[in-house]
Amino acid sequence: MRNAYVDQFPEEARVIKAAFWSSFIALTIGGTLGLIQALHRTDVFRFIESPDYYTVLTAHGVLLAITFTIFFLVGIFTWAVTTSLERSIVDIRFTWGWYTMMVIGSVLVTITIFSGFVDSIQINADVLFTFYAPLEAHPAFYIGLVLFVVGSWLAGVDWFRTWFAWRSEHSDERIPLPTFMVLTTTLFWYICTFGVALSILVFLLPWSLGIIDSVNPLLTRTLFWYFGHAVVYFWLMPTYVLWYVMLPKFSGGKLFSDPLARVVFVLFLLLSTPLGIHHQYLDPGIAEGYKYIAMTNTMFLLLPSLLTAFTVVASMEHGARQRGGKGYLNWLTALPWRNPVFTGMALSGLMFAAAGFSGMINAGMNINYLVHNTWWVVGHFHLTVGTAVALTFMSASYWFLPQLTGKELWNRSVALTQVVLWFIGMTFMSNAMHRSGLFGMPRRTAEPQYQGFEFEPAVGTVGEINAQVALGAVLLTVSLILFLLNMIMTSFNSTSDNIPDNTYADTLSGPEDSPDILDNLTLWVAIAVTLVIIAYTLPLASIVDSGGLFGPGIDGYQLTIKINPTLVLESLQEGIR
Amino acid sequence: MNIHTYEKAWLIASMALIVGFIATVTYGAVGPGIAMIDDDGGSIDPDTINDDERFSDPGVTHVGGNEYEATVVAQAWLYTPSEITVPANSTVTFYVTSRDVTHSFTVAGTNVNTMVVPGEVSQMTVKFDEPGEYGILCNEYCGAQHHTMEGKLNVVPEDEFDLTEVSAEAPNEAQFGNETTITATVSNGMQDEIETTATLEVGDQTREQDVTVPGNGNEDVEFTVDTTELGTGDHDWTVTGDGHEDSGTLSVTDDSEGGDDDA
Amino acid sequence: MSSGTRQDDPNHVHTIDHEEYDPIGTAILIGIYFVILVLLWLFMYFVEFLGNGPTVIGVVLTVVGLT
Repeated sequence: MRNAYVDQFPEEARVIKAAFWSSFIALTIGGTLGLIQALHRTDVFRFIESPDYYTVLTAHGVLLAITFTIFFLVGIFTWAVTTSLERSIVDIRFTWGWYTMMVIGSVLVTITIFSGFVDSIQINADVLFTFYAPLEAHPAFYIGLVLFVVGSWLAGVDWFRTWFAWRSEHSDERIPLPTFMVLTTTLFWYICTFGVALSILVFLLPWSLGIIDSVNPLLTRTLFWYFGHAVVYFWLMPTYVLWYVMLPKFSGGKLFSDPLARVVFVLFLLLSTPLGIHHQYLDPGIAEGYKYIAMTNTMFLLLPSLLTAFTVVASMEHGARQRGGKGYLNWLTALPWRNPVFTGMALSGLMFAAAGFSGMINAGMNINYLVHNTWWVVGHFHLTVGTAVALTFMSASYWFLPQLTGKELWNRSVALTQVVLWFIGMTFMSNAMHRSGLFGMPRRTAEPQYQGFEFEPAVGTVGEINAQVALGAVLLTVSLILFLLNMIMTSFNSTSDNIPDNTYADTLSGPEDSPDILDNLTLWVAIAVTLVIIAYTLPLASIVDSGGLFGPGIDGYQLTIKINPTLVLESLQEGIR
Repeated sequence: MNIHTYEKAWLIASMALIVGFIATVTYGAVGPGIAMIDDDGGSIDPDTINDDERFSDPGVTHVGGNEYEATVVAQAWLYTPSEITVPANSTVTFYVTSRDVTHSFTVAGTNVNTMVVPGEVSQMTVKFDEPGEYGILCNEYCGAQHHTMEGKLNVVPEDEFDLTEVSAEAPNEAQFGNETTITATVSNGMQDEIETTATLEVGDQTREQDVTVPGNGNEDVEFTVDTTELGTGDHDWTVTGDGHEDSGTLSVTDDSEGGDDDA
Repeated sequence: MSSGTRQDDPNHVHTIDHEEYDPIGTAILIGIYFVILVLLWLFMYFVEFLGNGPTVIGVVLTVVGLT
């Protein structure tokens, strides 16, 4: 008797499938745009006007960093809660409700951004993923983001409700690890989205609607980064869920340590948010002391990831040895490299280790002068969200889509090729991006070819860097096409009984070894909130004190494709005067 | 809690690594004395930039000794001044602000890199040792032509650097037979006085006068021009001082030949 | 133990339980990673960063400031 997820939880399977397909659509559009950007910037192939590049870049950032990642997360987390608690969602209509809200939000945002390509429609949102004021987007952009985030909040409510219902019948049991991970992640999501929700609802949305005249750019920027760093952990945590509770099983072994996994997730709950200022090391208006505090918090947040590295590799080693692997390092060959699910996740983990190195540089306060807003940063996050997260999600899909549909994966060889190609493509692209940042190559720029000066790489040339980026982007796009092909063809397969049971990894050291206090979510939330208050109250007070809550009369700017000649003339006159 | 020995060892190594990273950065602040951009620059209302004493006339000023200040206004999509020149072996404090949206002020290939946020002033002090030419670019997206926003930073050898300006006042026309005056004003932006020779070249005449210009002041030099020697017609003139110049054209006319009435 | 955690790997040769498992391979790999991190950090900070030309300097007077 087949016992896949769709057999155990058919209704949840339908909504998770919908969430995954929303995720894949966003990935496809966003990824394709990435290719256009890579070819344009490197001057390999330009077919759009450079001002349009920024519209492309906004869509790429929002669709990949928000839409693709979070739709996948809500799917995985719904799977994790129902599977580990062995019970259904309390009310599936509520689930469809928040999912629909997220879809409406995404569609609004996407339409607003893409309208930027059409000059005759006066709607645009050429503000990039960070939407810094005084750059201003159409109100529908902000409304769309709000709907999407509120939808994700309601998703969290769904998971908590389901846990409460389980707890009333299992009051003396430890929270199963997957659910524990979902709950702690949801809690820090509530904490960190508070900042950006405040920024949008109190300032940016009323300002774009003309209800208020002005905003304080540094204030809204700081509120964004209050959220903007923690959001990367919202992408990383579902990845860690998969590495902790699925990868050991795919490796043929067990999770090395349940207690340490709980510690890792608690640390992320505590520290994800009070370090946002490390994205503002070079901002005026924020005293050096606050930046130093953000740095120490950031550096300590390296710890759970370093611990994860050990636990995950130890779990893989366990699997390898259970499969007969021997020797100090020879066991690596005993791992199931022909399984695209395993290989994709293993390569993701390897790339994440490289990302850890560039991440620790980014965490450094004064060394930030070297890399801030250069392509180094872009190289870094293409390793992290672009590979560790995205490639893990794609690899996991090879296991999940059969679970959700009862249909076998269409082609394992294509899947294996896909994951390897992604890894190779990203190796080319990201290493070139990192290296270029070291000689000052800027990010977020359509044409980094300047009139008055040339870049001076210490090693290599700009030409060779551009070539690697273009090559990498092409390989990534081919990989993306292969992924999509496999997903679509799998959907058209006939159903099969040959689908593995819906299970997750066993543990070597189980929850019984983990101190009860780890499950005390109230305690951890209290500490997390306290740390945020300590890290942010004084800097925010200082910003409001010196610049005003609503700024000193700062208008919105839509410095986009349609250049207003009067404005340009005024600007130039100001400059000449 | 049951932690394997190896993982305990890794936990300790990780903590040591983290502390090492923090210690390195702290060393950078204390040893080489690297400071972060902070709130020292204060805040500003972007609408009042032109009236602000720092930004009404952006550029390089001499504070004294080897110290300079450079004020810069960033806007979409240019810097004012677009070219900044300072001497080698100087310490320059930059003050940068924005007229409109968030920009950066970044000297490519160096660690001189700051965000420029409207409403705030970014203040940073940099020591320039060697001469060199650098590009300035904006690395914070600021609109459709963001990629065109660039400037230039020249660090010139000390003996090639000055803050002298020369301007001249002269009538456009003069009556043949009369004397006329061209006044050269030599301005000295340095705090230390300069001694130089002001020169007027007009037609094939050359006049010279030594002049001492006080620190942060200016000196006028009057040159008398004999139009009889020049003759009628248009004559280009150039006034030079300390390597800088100003020029114009003087028309010598003869009213007795029935010219305009408005002599 | 919940039914959500059964093992079913066709290549499973033998079972290793918690007591008898020493992740020596992991220790070696992590040790190599540690060395790489240290070397790269030192290179990045002392060669790339401190050698990157003019830098913003100043005296660290105020640690936290509220106007």
